[in-house]
Amino acid sequence: MTSKATINRLATGVPGLDEVLGGGLPEFSFNLIAGTPGSGKTTLSHQIMFALATAERPAIYFTVLGEPPLKMLRYQQQFDYFDAEAINQRVRFVSLSEDTMTGDLDRVLKRIVDEVTAHSPGLVFVDSFRSVVFASENGSNGKTSLQLFVQQLGMLMTSWQATTFLVGEYFNETDANPVFTVADGLIWLRQSVQRNSMVRKMEIMKMRGQSSLPGLHTFRIDKAGVRVFAPARVVSASGAGPHLPGARALMGVPALDEMLGGGLPRGYSLLVAGPSGSGKSILASAFLAEGVRCGETGVLAAFEQHPNRARNPVLVDLIARGQVGLIDSREPDLSIDEIVLLILTEVRRLKATRVVLDSLSGFELSLAPTFQTDFRESLLRLVTALASAGVTLLMTSELEDRYTDLRFSPYGAAFLTDAIIVQRYIEVESRLLRVIAVVKVRASDHSSDLRLYSIGEDGIRIGEMLPEQEGLLGGRPTRKPRPAPPARDVEAEGH
Amino acid sequence: MPVESHQSRPWPAPLADRVAGDASAEQIAGAIVAIWQEMDQSLNPIIGHRGVAALFNRSLHLSAAAYPWLTIGHQGATTAIDPSALQAVLARQDAAEAARGGIALFQQFRELLASLVGAPLTDRLLRSVWARSAGASPVQDTTS
Repeated sequence: MTSKATINRLATGVPGLDEVLGGGLPEFSFNLIAGTPGSGKTTLSHQIMFALATAERPAIYFTVLGEPPLKMLRYQQQFDYFDAEAINQRVRFVSLSEDTMTGDLDRVLKRIVDEVTAHSPGLVFVDSFRSVVFASENGSNGKTSLQLFVQQLGMLMTSWQATTFLVGEYFNETDANPVFTVADGLIWLRQSVQRNSMVRKMEIMKMRGQSSLPGLHTFRIDKAGVRVFAPARVVSASGAGPHLPGARALMGVPALDEMLGGGLPRGYSLLVAGPSGSGKSILASAFLAEGVRCGETGVLAAFEQHPNRARNPVLVDLIARGQVGLIDSREPDLSIDEIVLLILTEVRRLKATRVVLDSLSGFELSLAPTFQTDFRESLLRLVTALASAGVTLLMTSELEDRYTDLRFSPYGAAFLTDAIIVQRYIEVESRLLRVIAVVKVRASDHSSDLRLYSIGEDGIRIGEMLPEQEGLLGGRPTRKPRPAPPARDVEAEGH
Repeated sequence: MPVESHQSRPWPAPLADRVAGDASAEQIAGAIVAIWQEMDQSLNPIIGHRGVAALFNRSLHLSAAAYPWLTIGHQGATTAIDPSALQAVLARQDAAEAARGGIALFQQFRELLASLVGAPLTDRLLRSVWARSAGASPVQDTTS
């Protein structure tokens, strides 16, 4: 017989939060929700309250001075989770502003205790706490009294059979505040502002009894309330890989499949790098269309720099028929975890096996500046997450033609991918021609040919090699000199 | 659930259920103040004394446009209103005028609150007052 206490975990009703918390909110825990003004503390609290409060487990929401209760009710009801019917039933609001204004913290504490005793709530929220600091600093009680008050409240809250939340514009996180020690959970909300962009981030600094996910997790607040984007690895790990028909995914360009050694190995990530107009998106469309032809579905994540540009008609048709899912997020300030979640949600919905990300440059631009600085790391997380979901990924990368060096992506992303195809322009006999080569296919034989190709009505056609030309990658190939008579060579060396 | 700035649902008539048709101004004044105190009680815990006082003073000010004798509060005050002042001013009118003024005042108060938190929530918050007044005809739950 086990003597361990069983800790029930409550599902918070906030998408992504339970994952980040490490499996929900422990029942009867005492939690702090802290953050700067406007960071979403009250919204998060209300969302949790409306999701968790029931007739058997009613909630009391104490409003201290912070936000006038009328305004709070006015703005909170804009969110979908708000339920006016619940008020005075499973949810009670209690204003403590008058008691707080007196500066007499004992009286505030007594009011809270009285209400809790009278109604035995299962959930208690006290919002917000910074205001209590001010009230007591203005009064004669001094800061010690406040610390004592918060500590007393914390201990009381722990003793109630209730899951409790102290919401507050909190003091500095480095502050050795006693309440941080008392609290079982510490949820810190932040806003990271860089240039003209703002990204909301959440950190679970502490959650007793379970392993929460460390680090900063981005979240968004919209009409539905708070949505937390759990790390890509967690999101992808929870899904089973799709069924893979055949070991290799065909590209829709038979000659290219030959060059790849029989198609792209399943689960690989492929980088298609080339200059503007070289047909990267056309190759990507062919890849998705071939999937559909083989009875698979795909997802296109379009981060185009010209959103109004007409898309390939074949692709438009596939999207319209629901065989290819389109992610065309125009949300500003995307985080990598949000994008991964968007893609994986679509992958699961369609049971997709192929994903195209077109293009990396557009993708980088749509990320919030704070993530652009470590774009390579973000990209690695994306590729890893999609790889663990078992999909085959094709990414395009716009590459300025530089004829003095051979590069595959402006991000040093080449090492992240399992396969690379490069496209280039060359000049031959006063004409601009295109060549294509398979640079790398991890753990697989592949062709090393540099082949001409053209783009026609029916897509990409791979042509011949140019064996009598050399210096193709320099952009201006020259005709190889005919082998010279050996005698002249010897003579030349003699000089 | 968006906030509705104006609502068209009829105001339950708490007054009619509490006083007889031939009630005196005194009786009407007493009923109005009683209703007011019940509303105060329902709202106090949620929005605080000062919040209710501010709303009530504003309602008095707005109602005074049609009923100048209602000019007893002062706008902007966040101190609690003296119910006896309201009772006295009501009792000085004739019965019909007092009833009209009182109803206008409640209507104003309700519209003000509804403009802030929406009609469904307003009705939700004040439901206990209607329930107590309505007696035989319970208030319909129209919010769902």
